[in-house]
Amino acid sequence: MSPAGRPGRKHPTRPLWRAAVLLRVITLFFAAGVVFTHRGDYANTGLAWGTIGVMAAWTALTFWYYLRAGHGRLWFTIVDLAVCCALMCVSRFALTHEQLTALKVPLLPTVWVTAVVAIGAIRAGALGGAIFGLVVSAFNYGVRGYFDTDLTRDMVLLVGVGIVLGLLSENQVRAAEIAERLAQAMRAEAATAERERLARTIHDGVLQVLARVRKRGRELGGEAAELAELAGHQEVALRALVAAAPLESTSDGHADLRPRLQVLASDRYQVSVPATAVLVAECAATELTFLVREALENVDRHAGPDARAWVLLEDVGDEVVLSVRDDGVGIAAGRIAAAEQEGRLGIARSIRGRVRELGGTISLETAPGAGTEWEIRVPNKRGERGQR
Amino acid sequence: MTAEAERPISVMVVDDHPIWRDGVARDLAERGFDVRATAADASSAVRIARAARPDVVLMDLNLGAESGADATREITAGLPGTRVLVLSASGEHSDVLEAVKAGASGYLVKSASAEELVAAVRRTAAGDAVFTAGLAGLVLGEYRRMAAGPDDAAAPKLTERETEVLRLVAKGRTARQIADRLVLSHRTVENHVQSTLRKLQLHNRVELARYAIEHGLDGDPEQ
Repeated sequence: MSPAGRPGRKHPTRPLWRAAVLLRVITLFFAAGVVFTHRGDYANTGLAWGTIGVMAAWTALTFWYYLRAGHGRLWFTIVDLAVCCALMCVSRFALTHEQLTALKVPLLPTVWVTAVVAIGAIRAGALGGAIFGLVVSAFNYGVRGYFDTDLTRDMVLLVGVGIVLGLLSENQVRAAEIAERLAQAMRAEAATAERERLARTIHDGVLQVLARVRKRGRELGGEAAELAELAGHQEVALRALVAAAPLESTSDGHADLRPRLQVLASDRYQVSVPATAVLVAECAATELTFLVREALENVDRHAGPDARAWVLLEDVGDEVVLSVRDDGVGIAAGRIAAAEQEGRLGIARSIRGRVRELGGTISLETAPGAGTEWEIRVPNKRGERGQR
Repeated sequence: MTAEAERPISVMVVDDHPIWRDGVARDLAERGFDVRATAADASSAVRIARAARPDVVLMDLNLGAESGADATREITAGLPGTRVLVLSASGEHSDVLEAVKAGASGYLVKSASAEELVAAVRRTAAGDAVFTAGLAGLVLGEYRRMAAGPDDAAAPKLTERETEVLRLVAKGRTARQIADRLVLSHRTVENHVQSTLRKLQLHNRVELARYAIEHGLDGDPEQ
């Protein structure tokens, strides 16, 4: 992400642009002073003052333009360079031949042209600065019509300034990018730390108090026991929420099944998982979570008011084994088959069908009074690879 | 259990949260336990446990910046007569597994009732393991992780029977129900469960020692 691309963010080279336009203002006064000094000697004094007028107007325009955006567009800096060179050429008509050669009177823009080299360097880096410096020097030679050490010294200075400022500008942009990346990393770290802090605060404060309320309230009985019951529901839900790892899929389309199941825990439903990630295909994770939720809803509806349930997730070899057991009233033998034949029972059809689609198997163990136990086996990440 | 008849079981409660710590201490004292000490952080827990030598340390795992697992390791390594029961609100996760591998004899969620707590402390004092379904799931997962990893002859393995018992525990069955189902004695089921923990703890100690030797942390080589 480029720093310039962020709205409301200052361009990293902005201070350099400010310095460049300021240099142009200062050198404008110097150029006006030079014309004033030689006012009686020019071939065309009116043209000389006219040139200063155009330079003043151009200085004002560029001052506004460069500072408005914080930086200039490349095409505009090239126009800027062309204007400066054209103004240098005007000197050929305003100065006498003697002034140009023997007397070595400065060209009309004098050092004012340094600013455009600085602008080129800031906009386009060291290479841009060097090119701008060479172009200005070339016009300097051309307008004078001869070579000498003074003009060559000017060229060395102009190109040198272009390179130095260009390097500075490039460095400024790079530093801003690094700072931006660092800031991003710090923001991400702060967000993680905040999440952890929140989890810790919940652990240390809310959960402890809820656990205590639940425990003591249950012992006191009566209305306190009812309150304890409510506190208990919240405690278990909150603990599951805090303990669950973030719900994230890996880049290759697999997901850790554990956090999706852990959030289903309540004071009646316990969820047991391994300490390490259990990876299955993303769609399998969604389906299995749905199946467990459906099985738990069945417990809610049919197993009796005091029934509890346990969900166990195991990662064995090439498959994931998911067991859902309850200690409720159970189902009489043949009731499921009978219901299936009547075409009205949801569990058998939907659960069996879904598991078959995932390439897995399902078994049901139940007896009246002995609860029910579903065991679902589906391929895990290793198992999928083996099948291909 | 005979020790109980002679003298009350001595207990120490380690928890950085005063509401909980004092509540548990009071519950246990009311039920005839000898609450010998309390501590709010891991380092003072180790120090106080050495002086107080309780039968059972009730250890919270979230002790601010410190880890209850490290304190568990130091207490169980230094005091053979003291057992650690983890009592945590943290949910059954890797830190619980870490504490159990470090030598804790069991784990109980903080939402357990006072009766469950008392029973767990008694069982811990008697040398039995205290397993929740969640802990059984973690221990099963740990054995399977080791089995799936690079071939390591030293890595402990579960026998078929132990796997069967642990799976039944993880699905919420009590030791009594498991004994009935597998036609075993209650004692045999307890032994199976305990043995799964003991193998894990032994392996953990061996691993730590091997790590120390490989990294030159085993003291002065001259000695």
